[in-house]
Amino acid sequence: MNNFVIADPDKCIGCRTCEVACVMAHGEHPLEQLTEENFLPRLRLVRTAKISMPIQCRQCEDAPCAQSCPEQAILQNGHSVQVTAGKCIGCKSCLLACPYGAIDLVVRPSSTGAKLNTVEALKCDLCLERTGGPACIQVCPTKALYQVEGSQMAGRLQQKRRKAAMGVVKVSGN
Amino acid sequence: MAHRVLTVCPYCGSGCQIYLTVENGSILGAEPGPGRTNESELCLKGYYGWDFLKNTKRLTARLTKPLLRYKRTDDFQEVSWEEAIGFAAEKLQAIKQKYGPEAIMATGSARGPGNEANYIMQKFVRAVLGSNNIDHCARVCHGSSVAGLAATLGNGAMSNSIPEIEDTKCVFIFGYNAADSHPIVARRILKAKEKGAKIIVTDPRFTEQARVADLWLPIKNGTNMALVNAFGHVLLAERLYKPEYVEQFTEGFETYQKVVARYTPEYAETITGIPAQDIRKAARMYANAPSATILWGMGVTQFGQAVDVVKGLSSLALLTGNFGRPHVGVGPVRGQNNVQGACDHGALPNMFPGYQPVADKAVRKKFAAAWGVKSLPEKPGYHLTEVPHLVKEGKLKAYYIFGEDPVQSDPDAAAVREALNAMELVIVQDIFMNKTALHADVIFPATSWGEHEGVYSAADRGFQKFNKAIEPQGDVKPDWEIISLLATALGYPMKYACSEEIWEELRRLCPIYEGVTYQRLEELGSIQWPCPSLDHPGTPYLYEGNKFDTPSGKGLLFAAEFRPPKEAPDSQYPFVLCTVREIGHYSVRTMTGNCAALQVLADEPGFIQINPADLQQLGIQDQELVWVSSRRGKVIARALSTERVNTGAVYMTYHWWIGACNELTIDHLDPISRTPEYKYCAVQVEKIIDQAAAEQYVQTEYSKLKKKMFCS
Repeated sequence: MNNFVIADPDKCIGCRTCEVACVMAHGEHPLEQLTEENFLPRLRLVRTAKISMPIQCRQCEDAPCAQSCPEQAILQNGHSVQVTAGKCIGCKSCLLACPYGAIDLVVRPSSTGAKLNTVEALKCDLCLERTGGPACIQVCPTKALYQVEGSQMAGRLQQKRRKAAMGVVKVSGN
Repeated sequence: MAHRVLTVCPYCGSGCQIYLTVENGSILGAEPGPGRTNESELCLKGYYGWDFLKNTKRLTARLTKPLLRYKRTDDFQEVSWEEAIGFAAEKLQAIKQKYGPEAIMATGSARGPGNEANYIMQKFVRAVLGSNNIDHCARVCHGSSVAGLAATLGNGAMSNSIPEIEDTKCVFIFGYNAADSHPIVARRILKAKEKGAKIIVTDPRFTEQARVADLWLPIKNGTNMALVNAFGHVLLAERLYKPEYVEQFTEGFETYQKVVARYTPEYAETITGIPAQDIRKAARMYANAPSATILWGMGVTQFGQAVDVVKGLSSLALLTGNFGRPHVGVGPVRGQNNVQGACDHGALPNMFPGYQPVADKAVRKKFAAAWGVKSLPEKPGYHLTEVPHLVKEGKLKAYYIFGEDPVQSDPDAAAVREALNAMELVIVQDIFMNKTALHADVIFPATSWGEHEGVYSAADRGFQKFNKAIEPQGDVKPDWEIISLLATALGYPMKYACSEEIWEELRRLCPIYEGVTYQRLEELGSIQWPCPSLDHPGTPYLYEGNKFDTPSGKGLLFAAEFRPPKEAPDSQYPFVLCTVREIGHYSVRTMTGNCAALQVLADEPGFIQINPADLQQLGIQDQELVWVSSRRGKVIARALSTERVNTGAVYMTYHWWIGACNELTIDHLDPISRTPEYKYCAVQVEKIIDQAAAEQYVQTEYSKLKKKMFCS
């Protein structure tokens, strides 16, 4: 199974440090040059009446974004789903397909004039290129963010089943 | 080659250690350092709040030359230090001669300058000017905690340490949103929860802190005293308190009992709106925990009845024996990086450094001898929040404002501006141009955090050495050096080679800091006062053996009758305005407003948080611009629809210069601490039909403001 990053809403304090860390990990701009235009985090804090947590790509096994992409710009790569830069044509199918709202399209006017615009589909890439792993996890002051390893999923489930069994024992008094 | 400099974060009072990566004299990034309080974690501002040092001019420009104008109607001119200091000295001398030393007021600075600079400022005021007229922004913040706890426990600081919070079994949080104001403290609270602690949060808003609580007490704005009394009532009525502890270590029980007697949870419910059974539940949760910690913030201290509530909260800890050991106690968590330090070092009108009272003859004699003056003034100085009134009464003529921006931070901004304009001399010493500096005669540019070294005090009494990472740009000087030049020009030669020389002078005059040296701080990382000798390890928690620092050695139990806030809403101003804060911005925003990431996350004109039901009644959409007005002023702000706030109340964060909530707030003060009631005044919210014009207005105002701040 794929790896993915997820937040524990019981630990998230809604501070958005993760958003800035994501921008800094992927951008080429030094901190002092961040602007609204180049601030493009791949996870976004959501705040409702009761919940605060960042939402990002779940690295779906049968990813609807990849399914919907006419250019095969989104592909399974190792233990995650990755966007191939340069292949995206900006058709927005992935935006419509993703049930999490975890993929976004950045459209920039082209500087060369040869093309109309340059486009880039942005989503969590698990900071594959980064030493130290996902930047969001590293900076989260309350350790609300963590990476779930697909390879450990079976073990996690087994643990949960054991816990459930013990719960039944307690309830029945045996 | 890049290198790392270990220093201390310049923002809240958590006292986090930071490594700054520096290359070719420029900062590249910040990483967490292995501090006692932060243990290699940082928050949003810690990671991304240092680029103001690059003079980004996003809100205001760094001051790089002394500025002077001989007439207030003139523009500022860049002048030499000699001319600026000479001008200030001559004017101060003349005012002192004409009106007496008490006509001059000065501030300490709770921010970047450090403890040494505050020590020098109060020395200047007391030994050179000859009054105790020094105060600082603790007055508008935890002044009520300092006064309240000094009376009940004998010491105004946090009784226990930030790291201890995670091993307490109950955290009772009152009017404090650690998640926004101190994320690194919030982290400890969450860790406590993970380890099984119960978390109780009292707040009218469903804050991020309330969200992670086991029990949220949604209190009606301005009714704290009634709840605290009811808490005490339950502790007594249900025998949840510790009679032997009370007998042995406290006093005032009989009077306390009489006052809280009528505050049954049912009666408190009628005032606070909190269901009686929840008050009982919370009191039981707190009292039955084997160890419990009370933490509070501005939601306690910024009311006309604040000192009483602080005393009431400390009484709950006394009744339940939650003192004198680890993981218990009371924590007024200080909001600015060195507000504890400015208090510690005598930037208060009634205290010499080390909390030695000016009223004490022997203390005055000691300081007079050390400073080489015949005598030092006995009369306590003025409070910061009384300045506008004192100016009106003709009592104050000059104001030396050091690392503060009262036009932005103090209540009723119009009254503050009027007071500054009426003064004969206004001196501003800062790192940035600010709103207050617009009213100055002379401006002294100082070095910033990152450009000088010294010692800060974290909220939990922890001294830490902060270090210089880069060379300052422009013709700027460290704060203590500027004040020393002015003292010398006034005929009191003051000369120090470095900040350590100042530290050495002050620690020898302050028994509770005597064992703290630069060398020891570098070896140990942090030392918590009291630290009376060079072999003393410092004091993580106060009141060992339950011996309090009061004259009798006992803790004082105290309760007072509930007093409602001053300005109740009415038909003309139907909403309660409560000022709060923003996670990514800090204080008057001169620093964070110039940080790129923090500006991108939140910018002018700032939000007014309002319940969707109220918005609907007003016919206002989420994110629309609105006018907010009170009897004192009117500002524009952006409506933020959120069910997390109660109906009938609106909340504005106090960092915005356009949506400046302190144009609206009232200068109603607590009678003891003189802390303003920022958390309660009546306002009106009005719909704006032409949103496009309103958006344009905000942009125009922002541009005008930046121009005034030398950004164009």
